[in-house]
Amino acid sequence: MAEDVTTIITGIKDIASGILEKDISAVRGFSERQVEAIAKQTVLIQKGVAGGDIDEELREFFLDGLEAMAHNFVNTLKGILMVTLEKLWNALVNFLYKAVGVVV
Amino acid sequence: MKPLKLYFSFLALFAIALFTGCEATLAPAYDQAIVTKVTASSDLAMRFFAEVDGGTESESFAAREPVYNILIGAFESLKLQAKARPVPKNVALDKINEMLAAKGSNAITGDYPSAFAFEKIAETFKKMKETDKQNGIRPLALQAFKGQVEIFLDQAITYESFLKR
Repeated sequence: MAEDVTTIITGIKDIASGILEKDISAVRGFSERQVEAIAKQTVLIQKGVAGGDIDEELREFFLDGLEAMAHNFVNTLKGILMVTLEKLWNALVNFLYKAVGVVV
Repeated sequence: MKPLKLYFSFLALFAIALFTGCEATLAPAYDQAIVTKVTASSDLAMRFFAEVDGGTESESFAAREPVYNILIGAFESLKLQAKARPVPKNVALDKINEMLAAKGSNAITGDYPSAFAFEKIAETFKKMKETDKQNGIRPLALQAFKGQVEIFLDQAITYESFLKR
C-alpha cells in the first residue's frame, strides 16, 4: 500500500512539474515582453507630449490605452493560468483514473 | 508524520478528482481560423506602419483611407469571432468562479482577453484614421499608435496560441 501511494505521488509530481515548467517558461517570456513594451510606450508618450507630437486629446487617448493594456495584461495572464490549470487537472484525473483502472 | 500528511493530501486530491467527475474545460476552444486571420491582419498592420513611418500629412489621407478601413474591419471581425466561442460550462469552472467571486475578482466569462485586445486594436486604428484625416500624424504619435497596436497584438496572439493544448 505504502509503495503504491509513493508511486502515485511520484506520478502526480512528474505530471505537475512537466506541465508547469513548460507553461511557466512561456508565461515568463510573455510577461517580460509586455512589461518592457508598456514601459517603453509610457516613455514614448511622455516624449511625444513634451515635444508637441502628441496633443492633449491624443494624450488622453494614449493614457486610456495604457490603462487598458495593463488591465488586459493581467487578464491574459489569468486566461493563460486557466489553460494551465485545465491541462494539469485533466492530466491528473486521467492518471488517477488509470491508477484505479477506470477508462476516462 | 510527514508521510501521513502526504497520504491525506493525496486522498483529498483523489476525492476531488473523483467527485467532480472526469475532465474539465476551463478555457475556450482553440480556433485555427482566428490564429490564421490574426497572423494575416497583423502582417498587414505592420506593413502599413512601415509605409507611414516618419509621420503622415492630411493631404494624402485619401490614399491611406482604404487601408484603415480594411484594418478596422479585420480587427472588429476578429473580435466577433473570438467572442463567439461559448464559455465552458462545468462544475469545476463554477467552483473557480465562486472562489473568484469570494476574493472579489471577476468571474471567467466570454470576455476573453484576445477579444478585448482585438477591440482595442480596432479602436486604435479608428483614432489613427481620424487624427490622420484631421491633421496628419506626427512621428512620435505614430510610434505611440504602433506601440499600442503591438502590445495588444502580443496579448491576443499569446492567448490564442496558448489555447492549443
